[in-house]
Amino acid sequence: MKIGNVEVKVSIVAVAVFVFFTIFLLFASVYSPEVRSQLIWMIPALFLLLVIPMALNYMSRSEYNNLEPIYEAEAKTVRIKLINESMVGKPVRIEGVVERVYFQFLNRPQYLVADRSGAISVKMFTSSNEEIKVNDVVEVLGQVIKRYIVTGDPVVNCVSIRKIDKS
Amino acid sequence: MAENPGGDPDQLTQSDNRIHLGLELAVPLFSFGGILIAFLLLGQGYIQSFRIAAAGCIIASFILAYLAWIRPKKDIVALTTPMYSIIFFVLPTDMIPDLILPILYAISLNILLVRLKYRFGKPGTAVSMGKELGGSLKTYIDQTREPLKNVSPDTAHNATLAFVRFAQGDYAKVARISETVTGNGDTAGCDQCLARAFSIVKEHAALLDKSLPHPFTYLVFNPEHADLLAKHLPPGQDDDHEFYLALDNALLLLYSAGWNGSEQDRPHLLSRQPFAQKLMSS
Repeated sequence: MKIGNVEVKVSIVAVAVFVFFTIFLLFASVYSPEVRSQLIWMIPALFLLLVIPMALNYMSRSEYNNLEPIYEAEAKTVRIKLINESMVGKPVRIEGVVERVYFQFLNRPQYLVADRSGAISVKMFTSSNEEIKVNDVVEVLGQVIKRYIVTGDPVVNCVSIRKIDKS
Repeated sequence: MAENPGGDPDQLTQSDNRIHLGLELAVPLFSFGGILIAFLLLGQGYIQSFRIAAAGCIIASFILAYLAWIRPKKDIVALTTPMYSIIFFVLPTDMIPDLILPILYAISLNILLVRLKYRFGKPGTAVSMGKELGGSLKTYIDQTREPLKNVSPDTAHNATLAFVRFAQGDYAKVARISETVTGNGDTAGCDQCLARAFSIVKEHAALLDKSLPHPFTYLVFNPEHADLLAKHLPPGQDDDHEFYLALDNALLLLYSAGWNGSEQDRPHLLSRQPFAQKLMSS
């Protein structure tokens, strides 16, 4: 769903929760008159289970969209091998091939992106603008962070990932 | 950590290995041992509660967390087990205490131990913890000590600065530092090879600062400098490889010059050792 210029995505988990409670509420309202009398607020509450994740996704996506031009201007294009823990906090741009994709269905995708010099994890804390698949050639804009904030190997906190044509 | 004289500094010493093996054995020993003792004592009527089983699980959790902590690659699940052991076994709860929870908890701890061993590598050494130089980097630095002995302390300091700034991604500053050594023709404190290393680093830093692609013509080391270089171009490699190999060699030469020529800068170089090791090994 598109709101303004922001593509809003609801994760499969949020949909599953909504479906579960809808079925639960249907059964409960059939068998219990007490539940039926409460439907006036239960049905809007049920829809909030979808609306709240959508609103959060919209807010995070629009925030990331605002950050993208800043990163476009500031990020240096580096080979993956040059990214190290001394670069924590630096905006970087990398180009490479997506070797693995994790957690895309949770709207918290993680990618393993590789170039000729090495591979690095690219974490995104919201959904990506386009669906990225294994073997896609991508350009990543993001900031170098430690995997567990204070410790761990350097990874890229992704602000933008997009497919590029390298042919 | 114990000394490892004459051996590969990346390898753990035998006594370290024994300690780590003992700690790994202690996890099932404490977690299941506590349950076994509690079961036996309860059966004989010596105790009335399951606290011994819980205590075993708590101790095992702390040992597991320690084993996770000493690995360079951290396992956040194993690191947080002491917190969960306290939540499950120390904080007051409405659950009726029985042996089911400690048994399930002990099984989980041992699964985590196996996961830690096979997915998170070996415990760290002084090298991986950044306390001393190790591996092929140390060998290279030892090999280049003699040829770089005439490097002036100022040049060595500039070499350290250039390497550290490059690791930090401050490419504009790297270009400026390299310029101070090479741009003014002030290479009295370093030999030709080191001067070329500064020039190569300056060229790459300037390109990286402006996010430019690799140029048609670029600087490389002269063939007579081959003995001072850490890595050599394998036959059949393309231009791209040669271009980036020159940078790796130049940075490693600056690292060595900084290490051998400026003792007070060594802590800065040690903290960037993982980056140097990465350049060395890839």
